[in-house]
Amino acid sequence: MRLTRSEHAAGWLFVLPAALLITGFGLIPIGWSLLLSFQSSDFVSPATWVGLANYRALESDPEFRSAIGRTLLYTALFVPITVLGGLAVAVVLNAKVRFISIYRTAVFIPVACSTVATAIIFNWLLEPTFGIVNYVLSWVGLGPYGFFQNPDQSLYSVVLMTSWGWIGFNAIVYLAALQSIPQELVEAASIDGAGRFTTFRRIVWPLLGPATLFLVVWASINALQVFDEIYVSTRGGPLHSTTVVVYYLFQQAFQFFAAGYGAAIAYVLFVAILLLTLLQLWVARRRVHYSS
Amino acid sequence: MKRLALVGLAGIVAAVVAAGSLGASKSPVTIVMWHGYTDVEGKALKAQIDQYNRSQSAVHVNLQFYGNADYALQKVLTAISGGKYPDIAYLYGSWAANIAKSPKTLDLTQRVKEPGFNFNDIWPAARLAATVNGKVIALPALIDNLALVYNKKLFRQAGVPFPTAKWTWATMQRAAKKLTNRSKKQFGWAYVNDGSEDTVWRYWALLWQAGGDILTPDGKKAAFDSPAGVKALTHLQRMARDKSIYFDSGNGNYTNLFNSGRIAMLYTGPWDLSSFPNVDYGVQILPGDRNHQTIAGPDNWVLFDNGKERANAAWTFMKWFMSTKQHLKLAIATGELPMRRSELKQPGYRTYTKRYPGVKTFVANLLNAKKVRPVDARYPRISEAVGQAVQAVLLGKADPKKALDDAAGKVDSILRRP
Repeated sequence: MRLTRSEHAAGWLFVLPAALLITGFGLIPIGWSLLLSFQSSDFVSPATWVGLANYRALESDPEFRSAIGRTLLYTALFVPITVLGGLAVAVVLNAKVRFISIYRTAVFIPVACSTVATAIIFNWLLEPTFGIVNYVLSWVGLGPYGFFQNPDQSLYSVVLMTSWGWIGFNAIVYLAALQSIPQELVEAASIDGAGRFTTFRRIVWPLLGPATLFLVVWASINALQVFDEIYVSTRGGPLHSTTVVVYYLFQQAFQFFAAGYGAAIAYVLFVAILLLTLLQLWVARRRVHYSS
Repeated sequence: MKRLALVGLAGIVAAVVAAGSLGASKSPVTIVMWHGYTDVEGKALKAQIDQYNRSQSAVHVNLQFYGNADYALQKVLTAISGGKYPDIAYLYGSWAANIAKSPKTLDLTQRVKEPGFNFNDIWPAARLAATVNGKVIALPALIDNLALVYNKKLFRQAGVPFPTAKWTWATMQRAAKKLTNRSKKQFGWAYVNDGSEDTVWRYWALLWQAGGDILTPDGKKAAFDSPAGVKALTHLQRMARDKSIYFDSGNGNYTNLFNSGRIAMLYTGPWDLSSFPNVDYGVQILPGDRNHQTIAGPDNWVLFDNGKERANAAWTFMKWFMSTKQHLKLAIATGELPMRRSELKQPGYRTYTKRYPGVKTFVANLLNAKKVRPVDARYPRISEAVGQAVQAVLLGKADPKKALDDAAGKVDSILRRP
């Protein structure tokens, strides 16, 4: 089909608002922050060009290094918990029982909650003295735990809180994938004598491959960028125990006004996430089967 | 559609004509004032501005709300780089050194010396917080300080006499212990232990009480790792070991818990009093060691350069706004502390103390606010280092001497960088 000139113009007009928004709030800041990462700037006085000095300083910054360690630990816990947890919930919700849509909605509610509201609620649930979690645990003789207030437990408490908010999302994606699995394949397997477990392992799990790949990549990107919940619940503490990379970036840029340094952290993180995603996609190339 | 455009055009023409004719008869200089006041305070501020705008025709103040004051510095800086910024903005005192670096910030050193202004009538801590390297870069907007707020009922129940102005750290520690009841989940005291400035400034008050200082007089090295500093932090450590402190994780839970009778004593300021409607509370100056010093948290009105005419107009307005009479009026409406000593001698001051009973002690306590935190752009980093030290000790993870020595090492290296 050939488009007339006015149709071209109309097309451009339609994408113009979105294009302007993406340029103004996406592309320009991204470019500007790259520039900023080569400068020493406190937002107030004129910035000076320092070349790679910010990146060099990052190399020998022990606090940045520990922030990376914490972020990796967080990601290593968060991704499997939310992906496998989401799968487990999806399998349970795939059943044909009464009121199933109510259960499905209930599982999805945490996803719809704002992360800030989640963090405020968990702050009260996990409060060491007055929180309901310690109260319930005391019935079975456990606790009391410090949770967010204990430097040895705080990062795990954040994993607990953020997983709660994420499992619902993964469950819905898995649920959709489960329902798109052709019923005849499952039936064929059972005729061939496969038990429920073998059917799951040999038929269902491989067919969920694309969904699993998407969720692992997506969860990893989000885990490496975790910030909101930490900002509201622990503010990187106690004793830096939850200072992950983005929190450290925030602290440098907006608490200490080292804007250039913060921008450099952002770019290191960006490259790291890009590499990890490429690695994940490369590994998956040989393992994920697309049904079509 | 067409009709509307015509009406609009007519409006514009009328406006232009009107503006032209006003210009001939000397139009007022319009200045823009940014603030984050809400509720009662917001209304009180607006009432003052309206009164000013009606009372004269030389200056028109355009009051604009900038949202949460926590983000005001970023907003003002963005506005400055965009080239369209206010003439006056409310900014936290802790940002004074940052904003002083901006070439658009007006230097008020000469202006505050004008005879009618009586700069020295303003509380010393507020003046110091508006001064960076000897230059006055702002006018004090608000001042408060920490005092001991206590729940009278819990004191009576525990048979502990009410705090007096003579209380020492030891009396306070004993009282806190008696007022703590684990089974009732009741705590003698509360401490914000998130390692933020909230953790740090309460510690500074103790440090000054023990005769210590934050930095050396030349501001080049840490001085808090002194015997006084160790003594102050050891006091906190002892109370933590007594388990008589409720540790607030920085979410302000302590106000709710005090209001529900779970906490007997707080070190807090007048801004919290309205959160305690359910408690019959008393206010006393802080328990002391060598003295009873407190710490003030002053905020500023910073003036920006939008050309000579607007700068002069802003100054003219601020002189009126910060006069004894006007500030007392604002204090009566909002419960803010008086800013000038002379406000205490005004007849209206009795109305003020009657309306806000607890506030009287906070006013008297302003005389105990003798020192201020370093007005230095690197202060947030200093605060962070010390916050970690205090937090480590309170969590039982470090010894006071060692924690302070480590923090002092960090602060020294922070101060070596420009």
